[in-house]
Amino acid sequence: MTLALFAQYVMNGAMLGMMYALVAVGFTLFFGVLDVIQFSHGDVLAAGAFLALGTWVALTKLGVVSPVLLLAAVVVVSALGTALLGAVFARTLVLPLKGAPQLNVLLVTLMMGTVLREAIRLFYPGGSQPQLFPALLPTTAYGVGGFHLRLDNAILLMAGALLIAATHFFITRTRIGLAIRAVAQDEETARTMGIDFRRIVLVTFGIGSALAAVAGVMDGLYYNEIFFGMGLLLGVIGFAAAIIGGLGNLYGAILGGFLFAALQTIGAVALPFASAYKDVFAFAVVIAIMAARPTGLIGERASERV
Amino acid sequence: MELRVEGISTAYDRADVLEDVTLDVAAGRITCLLGSNGSGKTTLIRSILGLTKPRRGRILFGGTDLTRLPTHRIVASGIAAIPEGRKVFPRLTVTENLRLGAYLETDAHIVTDRMERVFAIFPALAQRRSQIAGTMSGGEQAMVSIGRGLMSAPKLLLVDEPSLGLSPLFVKENFAVLRKVNESGVTVFLVEQNVHQTLAIAHEGYVLSKGRVVAHGTAQELLENDEVRKAYFGEGAA
Ligand SMILES: Nc1ncnc2c1ncn2[C@@H]1O[C@H](COP(=O)(O)OP(=O)(O)O)[C@@H](O)[C@H]1O
Ligand SMILES: [Mg+2]
Repeated sequence: MTLALFAQYVMNGAMLGMMYALVAVGFTLFFGVLDVIQFSHGDVLAAGAFLALGTWVALTKLGVVSPVLLLAAVVVVSALGTALLGAVFARTLVLPLKGAPQLNVLLVTLMMGTVLREAIRLFYPGGSQPQLFPALLPTTAYGVGGFHLRLDNAILLMAGALLIAATHFFITRTRIGLAIRAVAQDEETARTMGIDFRRIVLVTFGIGSALAAVAGVMDGLYYNEIFFGMGLLLGVIGFAAAIIGGLGNLYGAILGGFLFAALQTIGAVALPFASAYKDVFAFAVVIAIMAARPTGLIGERASERV
Repeated sequence: MELRVEGISTAYDRADVLEDVTLDVAAGRITCLLGSNGSGKTTLIRSILGLTKPRRGRILFGGTDLTRLPTHRIVASGIAAIPEGRKVFPRLTVTENLRLGAYLETDAHIVTDRMERVFAIFPALAQRRSQIAGTMSGGEQAMVSIGRGLMSAPKLLLVDEPSLGLSPLFVKENFAVLRKVNESGVTVFLVEQNVHQTLAIAHEGYVLSKGRVVAHGTAQELLENDEVRKAYFGEGAA
């Protein structure tokens, strides 16, 4: 393999890892504060991507042409709207089920995902077909010895890295982040510190869902296409990444996301004749990891949770 | 401020635990609640904190009815707890645990000041600010838990069996800290099984047996009450 090709693979892998990490962080945060698996998280991501697209369509119709303004509006509306969706979901469906059997919560989140997915398919104009996602970033390409670095990809990578760093900072260095970690470790004691548990749950679902929305927008910008079922695979991958990292562990989720992307990339490189099997390869490795390390690759769940 | 518990009855799913418990925790004093294992002491603390809501009765703090408030609002009214078993946040550092004690305080200077005061009380913690609390010894965790309880500068401190699992030396030191805290103006409600050390620092107290208050008096009166001694503290404690 040439160095240029290698760089291309690394670039693509990093891009995917970033998206997976953003999704996995949500799974891990929700599990931390409420001990639930939010199985509709992937569909929340799809909703975020479509909200972004809808915002773009609406603003373009209104005559907004400035790419910077469009991009900012699309990202902000998508992130805030999806945060609200996540918080409403937590408030109306997950919190009331607190104390109910885990299987009931699982069922509700699964069904909620189907509702979201079908709602996009049925109600978004042309939603049953893949939708073109606008290239809102400059696509200038720089050739470096056969390797094409596209400016939009570089920006996406940088923005993703910044967002993950910001999330990490928020969880580990701010007062609300501290409250989220306290609730994850011992809900009752956290409440006796004066922490409003319900508010922390809503904030956590808001943040996790906003991160998923940004991952959805990144996905749209990267592939120039989104469709209503895009959250299914991304959800499963994000969940797998969170589990690999030890569910509840923030660093683990981030590393898990990049690890999964690395596995896919290795799969694509190792099976050049059948790169369509890269997901099968990656999931097979994950299953093998699970068999060998039932609590995840990075530390024990009990000792490493947020 | 004064805490009044008026005729509360508290139950878990099916098991009734507290039956018509009435007691007063006088402002500025140390009031203790003695009772053997399983008599319902922790349940009373949980009822006051709103963690397990009483089925009947009221809880008043400085005249305000706390009974229906959620835990974080009860705490915001000036109550802090040092829970049974210490309950430090095991994967947070000492500093983070203490910071959480003052969660409702958003002024960083005040938080720093209070933290320094805790470190002055427990110099051993000052050396271990960034240690993960779960990796500390029981005695050190007790310091973190007590320090965390002081961080909100509470008007009322609820302390649930601070002697549990600690060596006599640690117990003595911690009780001395509680007395000092009380002397600085904080009302203390101390729940214990350890009769003698408790009555040595308490002004007055109640005795709980099978979820009911069976005796009440000044520390001296309780010490001299033969009936109480025999029935509730066992032979060994006499
Ligand atoms: N979470 C709970 N669920 C059901 N029963 C409980 C629970 N906690 C305590 N109990 C019961 O309530 C009674 C009083 O317990 P507790 O308040 O912890 O007593 P103490 O603190 O005086 O040792 C005991 O019989 C105990 O078994
Ligand atoms: Mg107890």
